[in-house]
Amino acid sequence: MNLKTSPSSSRRYEGCTLTGALSVTTAVEDAVTIVHGPAGCAHHNFSLLHAVMADQGRLHLPPVVSTDLGERDVIFGGEEALERTVRRVVDGGAAAVFVLTTCIAGTIGDDVASVCAADFGVPVVPVPTSGFLGGVFTDGLHAALLALAGGAERAPAPAGTVTIVGEKNLEFEVEENYSEVKRLLATLGVGVGLRFVREVRSADLGRVGAGRLNILREPALVPVGEALKERFGTPYVSSFPIGMEGSITFLRDVGSALGVPSDDAVAAEEERQEEMIASFADIRGAAFSPGSMTLHAVEYAPVRRVMEALDLKADTGGAGLALPYSPPVGTAGVRRLLHRWRRQIHA
Amino acid sequence: MPERLCSNPVWPCAMCGAVSCLSGFSGLDVVIHGSSGCYFYPASLIQTPIHATLIMEEEVIFGAEERLRRVVGEVAGHDRPVAVVQTCVPAVTGEDIGKALDGMEEAFIVDSPGFVGGMEEGYRRAVAALAPTVDPGETGVTIDGLNPVDPFWRGNLLEAERLVSAAGGTVAAAIAAGPLDSLRRCGAAVLQTNPGLACGIGTPAGSLLGIPATKAAFERLADLCDLDVGAVLDEADAAEERIGRATDKYLSRSDPPTVAVFGEAAYTGFVSDALARYLDAEVVVRAPRNGEEAVTSLDEIRDLVLGNKPDLILGSSFEHAVAPDVPYVGITFPQRGRVRLKSRALVGIEGSLALMDDVLNACLEKRGS
Repeated sequence: MNLKTSPSSSRRYEGCTLTGALSVTTAVEDAVTIVHGPAGCAHHNFSLLHAVMADQGRLHLPPVVSTDLGERDVIFGGEEALERTVRRVVDGGAAAVFVLTTCIAGTIGDDVASVCAADFGVPVVPVPTSGFLGGVFTDGLHAALLALAGGAERAPAPAGTVTIVGEKNLEFEVEENYSEVKRLLATLGVGVGLRFVREVRSADLGRVGAGRLNILREPALVPVGEALKERFGTPYVSSFPIGMEGSITFLRDVGSALGVPSDDAVAAEEERQEEMIASFADIRGAAFSPGSMTLHAVEYAPVRRVMEALDLKADTGGAGLALPYSPPVGTAGVRRLLHRWRRQIHA
Repeated sequence: MPERLCSNPVWPCAMCGAVSCLSGFSGLDVVIHGSSGCYFYPASLIQTPIHATLIMEEEVIFGAEERLRRVVGEVAGHDRPVAVVQTCVPAVTGEDIGKALDGMEEAFIVDSPGFVGGMEEGYRRAVAALAPTVDPGETGVTIDGLNPVDPFWRGNLLEAERLVSAAGGTVAAAIAAGPLDSLRRCGAAVLQTNPGLACGIGTPAGSLLGIPATKAAFERLADLCDLDVGAVLDEADAAEERIGRATDKYLSRSDPPTVAVFGEAAYTGFVSDALARYLDAEVVVRAPRNGEEAVTSLDEIRDLVLGNKPDLILGSSFEHAVAPDVPYVGITFPQRGRVRLKSRALVGIEGSLALMDDVLNACLEKRGS
């Protein structure tokens, strides 16, 4: 990715609401997502999803249907095209349909909610996106999570079961990060009841209120966590465990929220972390040349603590140091990061 | 509304085509006038820096002229021409971006919003805006039809340059590659790497897609530019003999594969002909991405693959994902999920050799599995 633009507002860089929403809706395996707009908008996003999934080692191609608005629709409106597309998608056997709007649909003023309100025989859920007119990537992500939770009811929550909320489906290490969270939860005797929303079917969405605790992927999802708490009464932990100290805090927070003792799990994890750090003793004291702006950002505090643990020095004359796009999740995330750093020292 | 649902469209829009074309030239900056959503996708495909206005909702409501002028003004500081590519929303809201750029002599507009068509339409609009011209005094050759999002863009350029050099000639200009200034002094003789993207200037020498076509093009080039093309023709003959020996060996133990070919129209035709010529393959699917018979929906692709059950697929990673167990050779954009650092040609002599390498190895790997 290259980026040379005027940094007058970070929201300008966030990407399209469509991409954020599609990262959620396309994770529902028996549903079809309709993108109401020109075919190019669907292609851009579908191709990006394909790229990400291929990088993740998955050849799955999620169904994304475009209403294929052309110049005529732009002039006369696209509601008829949308209604016809929804009917044909439903006739094709979709268990649920999610309708996302582009900036073109927003600009020409189509009443998408009204089209979706008709009885199609299966849930047809409008997700308010409107391309960049609806905000940015994060807004689309939040809107989709809340829209997909819309059909769920309060349900009895089995003991020792949590719901994962808002995994970054476009993240290269999404499965590795989930595995690490699952491993940490297992040390407390806690299991994952639902990944909301990843590798689920539309019927599973009704269980979003059936976890004892929601675990948000990152603090930016707190508005979603609050909305789910208000609706279903489910408390939440605001982030996946970040770094080594974050893993310990995570164990304590989850244990406390669920009323599960966590001292033994914490002790075992601390021992695991000491062994992991000891296995990188050969790079102790090495000098690195990290990107100072990124390294000093608040969210990279866990990375700075890893450097402190190994007495790594930030020095402009040192080896180039790759900082992860997202801070490392759990002890395993730190281990992978240190392997990359060691490779850079030896390069 | 088309007869088929526009399901999972697999081909980029006109805006992407325009940006791709413009990004191929050095000495030119490209600004996408649109939102970050319209920027990130082409930026993820194109390996050179491009710029964007990254407009937001308030600029749609109150006007984006000031934002456009500011971004173009910053970019124009590099003392190079700036191409401003229009996207859907500014086109629909009807902003007069020409007026917004008043006084900015270095800026020019490429009106190519996504809804006007596919990638080729945008590419053509960009070439038209650049207006390449033949210099009657120029003795070098023009290489045409290079598209930076094409996985063979750089490899095709290098192979075309190599062959021209082997004939004792020079390359005056390449579209879309190399210095922008060279477009003012294109050579009259034009070698084509993709006839579907022909810019229409000069005198066509012919296409470099395939060895027979390459030989014919260089024979024509000998007349047009007074070049000694003997070395190229000899190399072409030798290459065909090598291909013949390899395919003969393969056919002595195996039946020819049935093949499905997906890709840009000219590539699809070339690859289909090459597989029939060298391998006696039966082409059961020939599905161009563009033109009147265009197949751009994943549903159609899936139907064609599953309905014809080819032994071998040539296409993009979309086709590979539809039938991951079928041997596959990548010939078109996109090629996701694999590393591609080396420049690979599809045109010229090396292009045909590389194609047949990949095809035979894919078939042999399947046979050995």
